[in-house]
Amino acid sequence: MNNALGDEQRDALQELMNISMGQAANSLARLIEAKITLSIPKISSVTPSEFVAMLSSEGMWHTRQSFLGSVKGEVVSLQSRLGCEAIAELMEYQLPLSDTTREELLLELSNILAGACLSGFAEQLALTAKLSMPTVFDPEKLSPDHYRWANTLSMEVEFKIESSQFDSKIVICLEEDSISTLLNRLNSLLE
Amino acid sequence: MPIPVTIADDSMMSRKAVRRALPADWDIEITEATNGKQALAAVEAGKAEVLFLDLTMPELDGFGVLRYLHEHHAKTIVIVISADIQPEAKKLVDSLGAFRFLHKPLNPEQLSQVLFDVGLI
Repeated sequence: MNNALGDEQRDALQELMNISMGQAANSLARLIEAKITLSIPKISSVTPSEFVAMLSSEGMWHTRQSFLGSVKGEVVSLQSRLGCEAIAELMEYQLPLSDTTREELLLELSNILAGACLSGFAEQLALTAKLSMPTVFDPEKLSPDHYRWANTLSMEVEFKIESSQFDSKIVICLEEDSISTLLNRLNSLLE
Repeated sequence: MPIPVTIADDSMMSRKAVRRALPADWDIEITEATNGKQALAAVEAGKAEVLFLDLTMPELDGFGVLRYLHEHHAKTIVIVISADIQPEAKKLVDSLGAFRFLHKPLNPEQLSQVLFDVGLI
């Protein structure tokens, strides 16, 4: 899989993710009037067990959304538990968070960040990807057997707010069958 | 005489996107830089009357380049082309004397308009 992604394609993918996460960060930054620090996107080839391992970080809340269209896959967002109250306050939620309002917050953040990341990405590649509603889930209950692919591409980005414990990771995981579609589009951008 | 222009961006795809967006009949000589240090070297060497500058780059980032040019009263016309489009980034870029702040993905018509505004085309 790694070999299938050449240097130029990796560069392009990374830059497309940079642009998409820039758009996502901008929507959140305007909402909360704070500056958001962006990571360099990590692009890797993963097996289902590696993907599950990637998600099972402690101290995080998880949401997931699947997407369908000319590319298919899943977007998972991880929000640091410690940073939840800080972001909730900036987003004018009533504190302390109850289970219900926390879930509402997680789903809203997931929509803002994951939604913008995916739509920016798809738009630049002229691909369609329609996102389902996000749901909160527990990665402990996730089994690698759930996935129908053997090896796929994951793209991971991280958003932070300095001076607060807010930390949010978005992982976009493409289905194996969608990789060739993605590579074709990347190549036409690079021509 | 062709105008010396430098495109500074660590992404090859984005450097290509700038090249493609430049008016075909504009008489220029293009230098490419993949980080801020190379961008400043190009300025020092007289290769950047116009500088298209990305913000997020290794070694020295675009803010570092702007700060240096600002402190040294350089005459380079800087057009920032950035993926980080947060209000904070724009504010900082403006305060450091960049001529324009354009968003990625780059819109070629917007770029032509900027070049026209500055009197380059």
